[in-house]
Order: sequence, then C-alpha cells, then structure tokens
Amino acid sequence: MDKKIVKEIAAIVGEEYVSTRQDVLLTYSQSASTGFDGAMPDLVVKPGSTEEVAAIVKIANRYKIPVTPRSGGTSLQGEVIPKYGGIVIELLRLKEITLFEDLRSVRVGAGVTFGQLDKFLNQHGLWVPVYPESSLACTVAGNVVVNGAGPGSSKYGSIAEMVLGLTVVLPTGEIIKTGAEGNPNAPGPYLRYSFGPDITGLFIGSLGMFGIITTISVKTYKRMQFFDYNTYGFETAEQAERFIHELKQNDVNTLFISLYEGQILDFFMEMLGEEYGIPKYDWPPYTVSLIIGHVRKDVMQSDAAMAREICENLDGFVINIPEFPRGEWEDRLRTFARASYAHGWHWRILYHHHTPMHWHYVIEKIWEGLDKFGILGQTAGFATGHASFNFYPHLYFDPADKEDEEKVRAMHTWLAEQVFKVGAVPFKIAPYWFKDVPEMTDYLNLVKRMKKEMDPNNILNPHILGGEE
Amino acid sequence: MAQIDIDELHEEMLQCRRCGLCREAVYEAKGFNGICPVWENTSGFETDAMRGKIMVALALVEGRLEKTAENAEALFQCTLCGNCTQICPAEFEPNRVIEQVRAILDVPIKVRDSLADNIFEKDNPYDEPADKKREWTRELDFSIPTTGETIYFAGCTAALRNPRVARNTARILHIAGIDFAVMENEPCCGSVMMRTGKMDKAVENAQEAAKRFKEAGVQRIIVSCAGCFKTLKKDYEELGIEMPEVVHVVDLAKELIEQGRLQPTDMDEEMTITYHDPCHLGREMNVYDSPRDILTAIPGVTLVEMETHHDKAKCCGAGGGLRSYDSDLSKRIAASRVKEAEATGADIIATACPFCETNLSSGAELAGIQLGTLDVVDILVKALESKTKK
Repeated sequence: MDKKIVKEIAAIVGEEYVSTRQDVLLTYSQSASTGFDGAMPDLVVKPGSTEEVAAIVKIANRYKIPVTPRSGGTSLQGEVIPKYGGIVIELLRLKEITLFEDLRSVRVGAGVTFGQLDKFLNQHGLWVPVYPESSLACTVAGNVVVNGAGPGSSKYGSIAEMVLGLTVVLPTGEIIKTGAEGNPNAPGPYLRYSFGPDITGLFIGSLGMFGIITTISVKTYKRMQFFDYNTYGFETAEQAERFIHELKQNDVNTLFISLYEGQILDFFMEMLGEEYGIPKYDWPPYTVSLIIGHVRKDVMQSDAAMAREICENLDGFVINIPEFPRGEWEDRLRTFARASYAHGWHWRILYHHHTPMHWHYVIEKIWEGLDKFGILGQTAGFATGHASFNFYPHLYFDPADKEDEEKVRAMHTWLAEQVFKVGAVPFKIAPYWFKDVPEMTDYLNLVKRMKKEMDPNNILNPHILGGEE
Repeated sequence: MAQIDIDELHEEMLQCRRCGLCREAVYEAKGFNGICPVWENTSGFETDAMRGKIMVALALVEGRLEKTAENAEALFQCTLCGNCTQICPAEFEPNRVIEQVRAILDVPIKVRDSLADNIFEKDNPYDEPADKKREWTRELDFSIPTTGETIYFAGCTAALRNPRVARNTARILHIAGIDFAVMENEPCCGSVMMRTGKMDKAVENAQEAAKRFKEAGVQRIIVSCAGCFKTLKKDYEELGIEMPEVVHVVDLAKELIEQGRLQPTDMDEEMTITYHDPCHLGREMNVYDSPRDILTAIPGVTLVEMETHHDKAKCCGAGGGLRSYDSDLSKRIAASRVKEAEATGADIIATACPFCETNLSSGAELAGIQLGTLDVVDILVKALESKTKK
C-alpha cells in the first residue's frame, strides 16, 4: 500500500494503532475459520472512535481500497477474511457501555464482548438473554452482523430481536444512527422501528457489506434467578419435535431447548459429560435438553410441571438428569468452544435455520453426506425463537491431510444445496449458499442493487455476495 | 522441559483453533477478568495475544514468515504466565508451546544471549560478580554456614536485587531453629534461559547446578523465589536430573506455624493485604493456600482478594524473560496489576516471589500508586520479631 495512504491513516489514529508489519498482517489474514483460506491485507488499523472509523473509510473510498471490518475475529465461515491489498479495520478499542435503565436498554461499542457486557449488566441485576457460545471472545457487534444466536435464543430469538438501533459508518464515510437514536433529542435507545422502513435490519446479518457498525443498542431484561433443568426422552424424532412445538404453543418459558439424536448425544457426552458431571446413562433415541427460566419462582414451577405433562402426553418420559442442561446453561458463554475444540481436528461449519418439525430431515441429510463423503462430523441444534431451529453441522478434517480437507469442502457445498432443498434457510449469506441455488437469484439481485447504491466503489467486504465483486 | 520433538510441537501448534478466548475473556462466573496482560498493555494487535502468537510461531516454523528478530518479536513479548492456558479449550498448553518454539527458532535475540553468557560466567543473569551473591548474609545478626544438608537457595534476584527477601527468609528459618546453609558457589537455576529459549545452555547449566548440590551433600533445598522453585523442582525433573527435595518457603513456613514452631503475633498495627499469585508458584506448581494461610495466621492482618486471583490471577509482567526483553512493557503490566490491588483498598500487595515483588514495586512507581509491595516473608518476619522483641 502506498506509504502516503498509510501516513494519512496513521495521522487519524496515531502511529501505534496502525501496522503494516508482515507478522501482524499474517494474524489478520485469518479468523477462527480454520477451514477457510486466508488472505493478507496491506494494513491493519485500530480506530478508537466512530469518527476515526469514518475518517478511515473516507480515505479508503477515495482510493477505492477494499475494507474488511473486524472485531473479535471469532467468525467461523470466513466472513472476516480480508482482501489482498486491503485494509482491516479492527474495532476492539470501541469499549464504551452506557446503560439506559429506564429505557430497558444498553448501548455498547463494537469492541464489547458478551462476557464483558454480561458482567456489567449483572451489577444492575440485568442481562441480554442471548448468549452466542463464543461469548468470551465474540463481540455484540460481530454477532449482530452475522445475526447469531445461542443459549437464551429459544425464548428470545436471534440477536437481531434484541437490537434497538445502531451507529453505522457507511461506505462513503457518513455516520448514521438508526432506531430511536436517529433523533438526537431522544433520551436513548427505546424503539427500533422508527423513521419508516427498518433500516436497522439492513445491517443485521449483512457481514459488514453495507456499513461498519460502531455501536449497538440492545434490550435488557431483569436477570432470571429461577431455573428448571431437565431432560426428556422420546422413541421417535416426530415425538421429540412435537414436544418442542407444544412447549412453544403453551407459552412455556423455554430459555434453551436442544434436541439430540442418540449417537450424537453420545459424542457430546464423550466431550463434556464428565466435566458437566452428567451421570452415565443409556440415552434414548432422541433426547430434549430443556432449560426453563423465570424471574418468578411460582411461574417457573408451573412451567416445569407443564413441560412434564406435555412430554408424558406425547408418550415421552422425563429422564430427570438435570446436570446436562445445567452444564449447557452455566457454561453458556463458551460451550461451543469447549465442545468444538475438545475433540476432533479442524472443521468447517454450516450454520442454517430450519424448523423443529423438519429437524429429522436435516439430520438424515447430514448422515447421508457423512457416509457419501467418508468424513467425520456431527451436528447439534437448538430452538431459536418463534418457530425456527438453528443447526450447526461440524465437518472435521485433519489440516495436515489435504485430501481429507478437500472432501470436507466438497461435502460442505453439497450439504448447503441439500438442506436448502428440504426447506432450510441461511442466516449468513456465505458464498456457498448462492452456488447452484437459482431460487435465490431475484433476492440476490436486489441485494446487489442495494449494495451498488450504498457502496458505489464497492469497498466494504466486496466478496460477500456470492463471491462476486 | 524435556527434549523438544519438532513434529510433536508442530502438531501441538495446530491444536489452536483460533477461538480467541486467550485475548481478553471476561468470565465473571469463573473468575476471569481478562486474560493476556501483554494484549492489555500494548496497542492490542492480534500478535499481542496468544492466538496471534501461535499463528506467527506456526508461520515461522513452517517457513512462511522470514526468521527475523522483528517477526519473532511476538514470541518474546510474552510473560508465559499461562492464563491463556487456563482458559484454552483445546488440548494443549499455549504458553509451553511458545517457550518451546523460542528454543527451536534460530533467530538472533541479543538480550537472551547476554543473559546466558552472564549466567555461565557469573552464576547470575544480572552481570554481577559471582561472589556478590552471598553478600546479603553479612547484614544478619547470626551467621550462616556455607555447607549443610539443608540449604537456602536465595536465587539471583533475592541475592542481588531484593536482598531484604533473602534476609527475611533466613530470619524465619533461624527463628524456627532450622539448621541451614547458603552455598558459597550458589548456581543460577537457569530459569531465564529456559524461558527465553536457550535450552541447550540451560540443560548444561542445570547439570552443573545439580552437580554442585550433590558435591555439597545437599538433601533439601529451600527457595523463596517462585521461578527457582518451578525450575529446580519441575523443569529439572522433566530433564531427568536427579535433585534433592525442593521446598518453597511458604509451604515450609505454613507447616512450621501449624507445628507451633513459628508463632506470628500482633504487629501493633492493622494491615489489609492483598496477595498476588506468582505464575510459577500458582498456576505452575499449584501453591495457592500456603501464602494465604500464613497471612491470615498473623493477628491484625485482613486478607482481601483482587478481582483476579488464584489460577486466574493476572501476571506481574516480569516472567518469561519479558523484564529483560521489554522492560517498559513489563513495568506497564505491573502497573495494571498494582491498580487491581489498589482497587481492593489494601495497604499492601504481598507476593511470594522476589522477581514479582521487584516488578510490582516498579509498577507502583510507574503508576504513581502509594501501595506497599512486600513478600510474604517480609510480613511474617515482622510478626515473628515483634514477639521476639516483646
């Protein structure tokens, strides 16, 4: 990169927050996506404010340099891998947290992790009840741009449902605020849907291609203190799926519901069973792990009784092993990392949503794929909000075995096509979703038109839309 | 540290799946309030925390990055404190991996070469004359022999930089009636060579040290330095070197208090103390209770904990050779730790390692914080001598 440009950027943030060193660039060529090829940027910059981000973007726009925004770098699908010759804007210095207790909301900078926010809110008896399972390293901003989910989502949906507004630096360097904060006289964030269409939603799940989020305002809730943990067994997938549906229909406060097939559960037990203190048990073909939570004890007890009744009405049975869901919940800020890293080699992951009632279709496809491609893998999933279910198949490979890795890449593409056919939807617009999926063309064309309008020089994460630029 | 198998080390590095927990995880329920002290006290690029360090290490070992001092800087800008290992979900120890990569990389790092040369020539890394190491004994009102079955191994830092700790340790042993000696030719344990990757020299030094102990007929070694403790007891064992029993003075003093051989009494002043866990004593050797038990056995002492303590304690910044490699950064890390101590409302930050204490003291000065930094032995001796005087 031209030294003059580096100098201009350094003048904005200070020399110590700019680097063109080879070792530094190397560490920004990748994220946590171990299954994706890296790419070296030319420069990494760490701005300390929204205004600094805007000033950097203006320079990048002027010189038409590709920009990749990044915060925790925990993404698993290659989203924050930069462009050769580009700039990485790392946002971890944006650490402000402002609580609006009366508005039941909090505003955080793009560098704040869920773990940091949770600790802060705990001092006030509050929380944001959606925890991506990489919460210790994952920032709220990063999770919003991928529209992630996690424990708590079975009741509260993905992180998008929590968002009240954003501060965004557009590709031209302009700064906008969405939601109630679009009014500078507003007392703080209290409403997302303001000033007409949902502009906030444009940036959620956008992987940073429309703008760089520098602050996020989210809802807060009184922290729950009463929980019921239990496990429920079923002989058929349909019974287990119906159980999830009925829990929702009866308004049971299901903070987190996971559904496990027998052999996958055995795999999970191998990984974390001992650590969570789960007793040895001959698990049934299908197990639902359920966490009910409430602010009030009497309501929690009533919901727990209802869950048991629904289970038994469906010819299921209460397993009464609370250690399993308790372990998942109490370790919710890092369960994913624990489970993923404790076993196996490197892996690719294929996040998608489906419905609880179609859960078994996805499972069948995954097993078919693992047999067809001859690789090791597994999947787990949890309910996310009103009627969706989040899946995250893991496909393992040995990084030292190129052939093994190629098989995993091939299955990854195949599986995306297959699950799409049985009704799944992506919540991250990763390139492989667009490959060979003609049903997506019109939608994709609209997004491209919007991208062109907002980012005429195509500088922000230009490779997001189906790999096209 | 046993012989390094390069293939095995490479496989170990691949265990890192880059989850990033080693950077700044705040996990209130488990007691973490941040992880990497280097990341926190630098500009905070990826190279400053362990995930990036492992990426750099892999690239250097695989030849994807040129082996220069600048490209290897990330590997040496690390205290090897092990807090990242504490939170790492993968099945490996990142701090140990970095230590091993330092050893196998042929990169010119001037400071580590001069440290090793000093140790070989003068039995200490501080470039002081070897015979100065026993000078501290002259200021005691009792004499200490140079040979005996039990020795107090003061270590280079206490002997040459923080002699108060050496003298107070000796006083405690004297009050308890323990017969002990301080060697005339006390070797350096070689910790700094192991940490900075001069492994071949460190092994040679360790063999020489063990030879001196054997020739002197030593049966038991008492240490007051956490680094010496870990090196003499754990690293030497991993090298297959036969050693006498090695005991840290806090474990011994705790036992002596329980036996009634040491009786700490009221020091006529109330003291609120917070205890800093040295990485080499806590995370490496699992010694957490003894120093705390000693402090709480002293009448008038109230022990308060910092936000991070025990196995989640933040580092003082001195370890892993960082104090020599980048002393400004080392002191900035110490200043943050002292700030954490100040937040407890304590009058004193105590520790059980002269190396930590020296650096914490520098950190307090840098931060302009009026907080006493002492070793547990300093406080204990005061409580013991206060009784003697009465």
